Amino acid sequence: MISVTREEREWFLRNIAQGLVDYMGVVEPPVPVEEMLRHPPTVYNYDFGVVDMYSNLWDATFARPPSRRGSIFVRINLPPDQRRYALARETLSALITSKHGREMGLAELFMDTLQESGEHFARHLLAPQPMVEVFRNREDEDRELADTFELPEQVAIERKQDSDSSFR
Amino acid sequence: MSMLTLNQLVARSIVDPAIVQAFSAGRIADVLSDLEFSPEVRTQLSSLNAETWTEYAVLAYRTVKAAQPVQTRIELPSPAEGLIRRDEDQIGKEQVA
Repeated sequence: MISVTREEREWFLRNIAQGLVDYMGVVEPPVPVEEMLRHPPTVYNYDFGVVDMYSNLWDATFARPPSRRGSIFVRINLPPDQRRYALARETLSALITSKHGREMGLAELFMDTLQESGEHFARHLLAPQPMVEVFRNREDEDRELADTFELPEQVAIERKQDSDSSFR
Repeated sequence: MSMLTLNQLVARSIVDPAIVQAFSAGRIADVLSDLEFSPEVRTQLSSLNAETWTEYAVLAYRTVKAAQPVQTRIELPSPAEGLIRRDEDQIGKEQVA
C-alpha cells in the first residue's frame, strides 16, 4: 500500500460516508443510521446488524461470529444521540471486514488508524457536508447542529472543525 | 467538476461492486469513459497502477487535484495607492508652477 496522508484518508472516508447517505436517499437530517444497519445495501447483507447488549465496558463494538452475520453490539442504555454516533463509528469496522470492503482494500487503508478513522467517518455519515452547509455561520451553530443531526454536542463541535474543502 | 465526479465515483463504489470488479479486471477505463473528466485527466486516470481500489482512488485524488486550475486571488488596489499618486501629481504641479 502506498503511503497515504491524513487528508487523503479523510477525503476517502467522507466520500464513502456520502455513498451510504446517497444509497439511503436521505435529503435532510437526521440520517437514519440504525435503519440502514437493519436494512443494509445488498452488498452488506452479511455484515450489517444491530444487537442490544448490557455492557459497562464499551458503548458499541463490531463483531463477526464465525460463519454468522457481522453485527454491531451496542449498549442498551445509551442516550439516543450517543447510540447513533457509536453505531455510525462501528459501521466502518463492518465495512472494512465485509467481503466487498476486503475487495476494495479498505483494511490496508484504515486498519492502522481505525479509531480515528471510525470517528471521522461517523461524523460525516451522521452529518453529511451538503446538509451541514446550511448551518454555516449561524448563531448557536454547535447546539443547533447537534439537535438537528441528533449528535452528541462534542461530536457536533468536532464535525464543525472538520475540513471539507476537497469535498466540493 | 473532475473532483466532484471523482467524489461521486468513490461514493458509489462503497455500495456498487461493479466499480471494484471493473477495476480488478483492468477495465476501469470503461467506467471512466462514462464520467465527466477532461480527456487529459481521463487518460491519466486510465493509466494509473494500483494494487487495490482504495489505492487507485487515492492516486486518482492526487491526479485530479494536481490537474485542478490554481485559484487566483482577486487583488484590489489599495485605496492608499490613489492617495499617494495624487500627492505625487500635486507635488509635480507645484514644482512646475
